[in-house]
Amino acid sequence: MTNNPKTTWHHIRRSPIQSLTALILMTFSFMLVSLFVVVNSGLSKVLVYFETKPEITIFIKDGLAQGDIDNLQKDLANYQNVKEIKFISKDKALEIYKQQNKNNPMLTEMVTANILPASFEITVTDPQALEKIYQNYATKTEIVDEIIYQKDIITSLLDWTNIIRRSGLIITMVVFIISFFSVSTIIGMKITNRKEEVKISRLLGASKFYVKKPFLLEGIIYGVIGSFVGSVITLGFIYFIRNSINSFFQPVIFISNDLIFYTTVVASEILLGLIIGYFSSLIGVRRYIKF
Amino acid sequence: MKLVFNNVDKNFGVISALKNISFTVNPGEFVFIVGPSGAGKSTLLKLILNQIKPTNGEILIDDINISLGTKSEIDKIRRKIGVIFQDYQLIMDKSVEENIALILDIVSFPKEKISSKIDEVINQVNLNNRRFLFPSQLSGGELQRASLARALAIEPEIILADEPTGNLDNENTWNLVKLLSDINKKNHTTVIMTTHNQEIVNSLDKRQIEIRDGEIKKDNQSSEVTVKKVVHHKKNDK
Repeated sequence: MTNNPKTTWHHIRRSPIQSLTALILMTFSFMLVSLFVVVNSGLSKVLVYFETKPEITIFIKDGLAQGDIDNLQKDLANYQNVKEIKFISKDKALEIYKQQNKNNPMLTEMVTANILPASFEITVTDPQALEKIYQNYATKTEIVDEIIYQKDIITSLLDWTNIIRRSGLIITMVVFIISFFSVSTIIGMKITNRKEEVKISRLLGASKFYVKKPFLLEGIIYGVIGSFVGSVITLGFIYFIRNSINSFFQPVIFISNDLIFYTTVVASEILLGLIIGYFSSLIGVRRYIKF
Repeated sequence: MKLVFNNVDKNFGVISALKNISFTVNPGEFVFIVGPSGAGKSTLLKLILNQIKPTNGEILIDDINISLGTKSEIDKIRRKIGVIFQDYQLIMDKSVEENIALILDIVSFPKEKISSKIDEVINQVNLNNRRFLFPSQLSGGELQRASLARALAIEPEIILADEPTGNLDNENTWNLVKLLSDINKKNHTTVIMTTHNQEIVNSLDKRQIEIRDGEIKKDNQSSEVTVKKVVHHKKNDK
């Protein structure tokens, strides 16, 4: 009848609007957090995809001996973080060119394999390696005709990813701070409403912790329920529309289909909700229970 | 539980509510604090509960100076005191039995015995048909009895009763006084009761401390105690 969970439930029922407000704020915060987690995970996949694409193409001089080409390939293979080296012969280059321009016969009729240079397409696991390869071969004009290095694309993609990540983090932090202090204030209002009860309980010999406990528990309940509902709503919605999003980002799988990923996100957010709920109510309790 | 007041003063700003109050209440005593309204009776009970602190002097409960005691010591002392407040101090959104259950929970009364204890005290104060009602649904007398039931539930070492008969009819007044007297005799529970009802005071042969204008004017031991003291002195003389 008087144990703390029942007292907490009693407090929640007695001021339903305040309780609902706290719960909605927490739910909304965790909806944003879940969205941020999913977008961040998707962006990482996009970045990894571009970072590990054959981002540097070395066009070699016409008439280079096969031995020189082989030496060049061996030399490239010695670089760290090189994932794949693909040799595109003149004939292969023509094939690719024709495939890319198959709807425009005017462009393909005049082109023969002789006018297209052979090249190496190099795939790396660390974008830093691209810069090194570029620096080393840009000056070797006796074997290299041209180097196409999509440095700007990667830099720009990295910049955008960082901006999105930072903005997401800032927005999430701001929303969390707002909900943190709102829950803290709501708990404070509830304590003020129940000041008489707290005072009477203290006069009857209740310890400070005894009177604080139901309010701390209330904060934790808001945090746990809010995080669970918020994450399930967002992740459920994203999971539902994942095919449309994934088709837009093809071939990257922007939204994962991995249930372990979703379970981990929900569990982590519940833990975070518990911590935030506890500390926000603790601040409210410390401010308002001073007798 | 022994209670000692040593030269206690209590001032509220420039108003002196209690002046140089000194007395001792031994375990098992029944003491009436009498005096007109505004004499300082309720202030005295508030000091015992450490609800307010004395301006000067010391109040010892079981040799602990409560104004210097730690919060934990004060909480422990309060858990041994059953209080019947003049304004009841019942929690408004809890029923009578929930109010009683709350104090039992506070004193860590065994959970499995809470229900039977509530039945016992509710029967004692004759509130059986009101146990599920909230304080706002009770009359003044019923509130007073609910407050008494809550005080009795913890089997206290001291009962502090602040004008407990103020809202009771004649029959309930005598029932309450008899109940407190019985508990005092049966359990040796110390009872300190403030009242301005001289009829009640005269009906029982108990110690009376009379307070007027914040000062003790009289401290009459009960004839029972006086007889015991005389016998004790005579024995010592021999």
